[in-house]
Amino acid sequence: MSPQTRAPARLTPIEMVRPTGALRASLRAGTLSAIAAALGGLFLLGISGWFLTGAAVAGAAGFAAVQAFNYLIPSAAIRLLAITRTVARYGERLLSHKAALTAMADVRSRLFARLAMQDTRSAPNLSAGEASARLIGDIDALEDLVVRQPTRPGSLAAALAGVALAALSGWLCALVLALLLAVFPFALGALSRRWTRTPAHEAAEALGDLRSRYVDMAQARAEIAAYGLVPRVLDELALPVARLDAARARLFRAEGAIAAFQLVYGALAAIVVLATASRGPALAALAILAASAAVEGLAALARTAFRQASVDESLRRLEDLLALDAPAPAAPIDVNLSASTLHLGAQAFGPGARIALTGPSGSGKTIVLEALAGLRSSAAPIRIGERALAQCCEAELSALFALSAQDAPLLAGSIADNLRLAHTGLDETAMRTALHVACLDERIARLPHGLDTRLGEDGAPLSGGERKRLSLARALLAGRPWLLLDEPTEGLDAATEARLVERLGDWLERTGSGLVLVSHRPHPLTLVHARVAIDTLVTL
Amino acid sequence: MKSNKAGHFWALDIVGAALFSAGLAGGVSALVAHQTTLPWLAALASGAVLRAGSVGLVHTLAMPIAQRDANVWRTNIMAHLLGGRLDRPLTAGASAALAVDHVHAIEEHGARFLPARISAVFGPLFAIGLIALASWVCALILLGTLIPFIIGMIFAGTAARRASERQLEALTALSGLFVDRIRHLPLIRHFAAQERIARQVESATHDVAQRTVAVLRAAFLSSAVLEFFSAIAVALVAVYCGFALLGLLPFTPPEPLTLARAFFALAMAPEVYLPMRRLAAAYHEKQMGEAAKAALEPYTPTAPAPNAPEAPAPAAPFTGLRVEGLTLAWDALTIGPLTFALDAQGLVALTGPTGSGKTSTLAAIAGQIAPAAGAILDSRGAPLDPAHIAWAAQRPLLLPATLRENIALAAPGATDAAILAVAARVGLDPVLARRGGLDLAIDHRGSGLSGGERRRIGLARAILSGRPLMLCDEPTADLDAASAAQITALLCDLASERALLVATHDAPLAALAQQEIAL
Repeated sequence: MSPQTRAPARLTPIEMVRPTGALRASLRAGTLSAIAAALGGLFLLGISGWFLTGAAVAGAAGFAAVQAFNYLIPSAAIRLLAITRTVARYGERLLSHKAALTAMADVRSRLFARLAMQDTRSAPNLSAGEASARLIGDIDALEDLVVRQPTRPGSLAAALAGVALAALSGWLCALVLALLLAVFPFALGALSRRWTRTPAHEAAEALGDLRSRYVDMAQARAEIAAYGLVPRVLDELALPVARLDAARARLFRAEGAIAAFQLVYGALAAIVVLATASRGPALAALAILAASAAVEGLAALARTAFRQASVDESLRRLEDLLALDAPAPAAPIDVNLSASTLHLGAQAFGPGARIALTGPSGSGKTIVLEALAGLRSSAAPIRIGERALAQCCEAELSALFALSAQDAPLLAGSIADNLRLAHTGLDETAMRTALHVACLDERIARLPHGLDTRLGEDGAPLSGGERKRLSLARALLAGRPWLLLDEPTEGLDAATEARLVERLGDWLERTGSGLVLVSHRPHPLTLVHARVAIDTLVTL
Repeated sequence: MKSNKAGHFWALDIVGAALFSAGLAGGVSALVAHQTTLPWLAALASGAVLRAGSVGLVHTLAMPIAQRDANVWRTNIMAHLLGGRLDRPLTAGASAALAVDHVHAIEEHGARFLPARISAVFGPLFAIGLIALASWVCALILLGTLIPFIIGMIFAGTAARRASERQLEALTALSGLFVDRIRHLPLIRHFAAQERIARQVESATHDVAQRTVAVLRAAFLSSAVLEFFSAIAVALVAVYCGFALLGLLPFTPPEPLTLARAFFALAMAPEVYLPMRRLAAAYHEKQMGEAAKAALEPYTPTAPAPNAPEAPAPAAPFTGLRVEGLTLAWDALTIGPLTFALDAQGLVALTGPTGSGKTSTLAAIAGQIAPAAGAILDSRGAPLDPAHIAWAAQRPLLLPATLRENIALAAPGATDAAILAVAARVGLDPVLARRGGLDLAIDHRGSGLSGGERRRIGLARAILSGRPLMLCDEPTADLDAASAAQITALLCDLASERALLVATHDAPLAALAQQEIAL
């Protein structure tokens, strides 16, 4: 890739992350180090060759020539360059990684803040594993780009220095080398694209195909194992595997071909310089070695070119996300909605009402709760005060409703982290009170780390029913005017269920909160004063 | 696989480099002697072609070798993950990470790291040997820098490895946190916790960035060692040769040195370190490949072909199921203990909320997940024969084949009449009538089939298998009321002829069971 090929409108990744002063300084220092390292390497080889040849010529010319040959400066320069190159390369790596890591931390937090501002009903859905994994991959690709950024000036400096040293062997020599070096990045970029684009694309497709087919199979694992269908299934997967293998082998060969092209091009530069050098053998040696080193330096550019297609893809996706604006609320945020009447179809309920949504399984009760919670858009005839549900922004809805959902999503982190999500500045007493209502306080007190117990991937060590009650406690802590509960007692034994319903009743009494309940079990339904048939709200 | 033989072809690269260096040395000497450089230009060109050829050869050969090895891993892992007995249930995503991504890492390891390692073993010594042909003193100098280099690498390398392992852990934890918070954005927005969580994410990412920089220092130090010795090698060779050619060495040169020999040694010096650089470049693949192998180790049983279709043993007929103290445990989660019995006919329901372990319990009874404690027996007290178990899945397997073949997956010899009878029984006849009978072609996505129709295919398959114990996973979930009622009636009917264990959170279905086991 070269800077010229970038569309002018496209923000560079560094612009995207709006570098801080420290980051810019790091990158600048990294760039200087990269230049020093590239020049150090080039001069080390070139001067060594020149010194050797000059020494041989002087040695052959006799004692006087040897005396006249200044060996102290070149031999000291050689040692100095060896050390310079090492230190500069170390500095380049460290500084560029420092810049990249800081930049990526910025990208992550900016991206997160940007996404968090969105309205769930219109935001890109990143809840699936695939989408979030891809986001991580995109950010990593960007990191790679920042790390490689200082190499570009380093490569260019090496190329210029190579031409300058070749000029000592005559203008023709310098001119041809300059031409060769100027063409090289474009030739390499073009060949990389030509050779790798198709197999890279094919490999990505084949990998996606294999993965989705395998996931289908893994979901049907129980049947495959029960009926001994493994050989049959492996036969089925053999085709995408073969396709993937072929594409990846082709891609790997293309990588080899690109490396081979660099080698041949480096040799070509050396040959041309040797054939055109006209100012004596010592300067010719200098020019040849400098030319080889310059080509090698420019090859670093090519490594970026090699990955550019996939990096571009990542950049585009990230830019789309970073370009998201916070949705403007349809109307100014109304702080008085909490005192408003909730209209469910033809029925109206004042603050503190307790309502059950009724209807057969699968008739859309959960969907209505999620719509109230601002998690999905809905055309259901629901109004809050004078405003239709769709016209309320998410901030308004989240100030009104606290949902304990059926699948009880929990954050990775401790039990306390999950409770603190509900409200700022919650103390332990408040948490324990809420856990008491949810009949979970004793269970958590028995855990060795209590509230600080970290929850594993499946919410372990909490069981399914306990996760549910933790999510209930969290909804209580939010302190919203309306509580939305979806099957709060599913899977509880009768005694616990009775206790939970009683405590929840007390809590509602005490706080004056309203309730919208979905439950197929009779006991929680004793909490409500009114019922709304779901078919008055949803038409399937 | 311990090695990838394609790496041996890197030797050709060194021969090519020697030819190229000879071309340089000869060319410069020819300039000094005012002779034609033409033959040396030819040497330069042929050296480059040889090097290019060796790169091409390695890249052509290494991948197929690596893939052959990776495919052995893939077959074993897939067979075990899809058909073997696991210690804990895996999500499809986690299973795919093992079978697809980790195997991919092993392939990369085989294609990039292993050939580089072979060349790192012989490459430096081979290059030094070639240099010795021109100047044995230069060869000695290079050998001399190689020894402290190796010692330095061992020290710096160990530190770098530890550092990069720590970095990997920190980054994994961070991206875990980031992914988790991104996934739960709807929840975070619902509780209006955007700003708080954003601050938490910001401080966590910056904290990890700072710690990572600190540990990277050590990693880059080992590269600096590599750089330093390769630079110092060039410098020493240049200075020795220069002074020898000038005749300024404080001692008599122990060898006759010409410009051509000296230049050859100088041009070859970086080649001594090239194989090690190649190895360092493949360090990431090494790390990922080894991590992948370690992760896959628990899933590669020593016994070949896990759960191959069992030979139809002269099995005793099924007379009932007895589950005694069945306990499942992984992480800190425990399911059970469960104790219950089921006769040769009848319906037992396993109930509990989502995530309470219903499916895992069924899988344990089918012998697909190893229980932590307890026994799964037939009514006579002998271990349950897996060949007695049919499984009706929530989302049944569909293979790209005809509907006939898909229904008869578990009973390959079934006649069309038998298949049609079962299809009618589960209510598939509308599909058959609408879509052209048993020859209906099904793709792997099951395009054109509704969730309910798919569920019915799974039921038909289980019935047709003729196995006397049927495990049904959420047979009525996500179905419309009419379909759910039909399936419930069918299950009741089936319960009069065979044993059914049904995992469900559908109250009407659970109410029909002779026994309800709540998790």
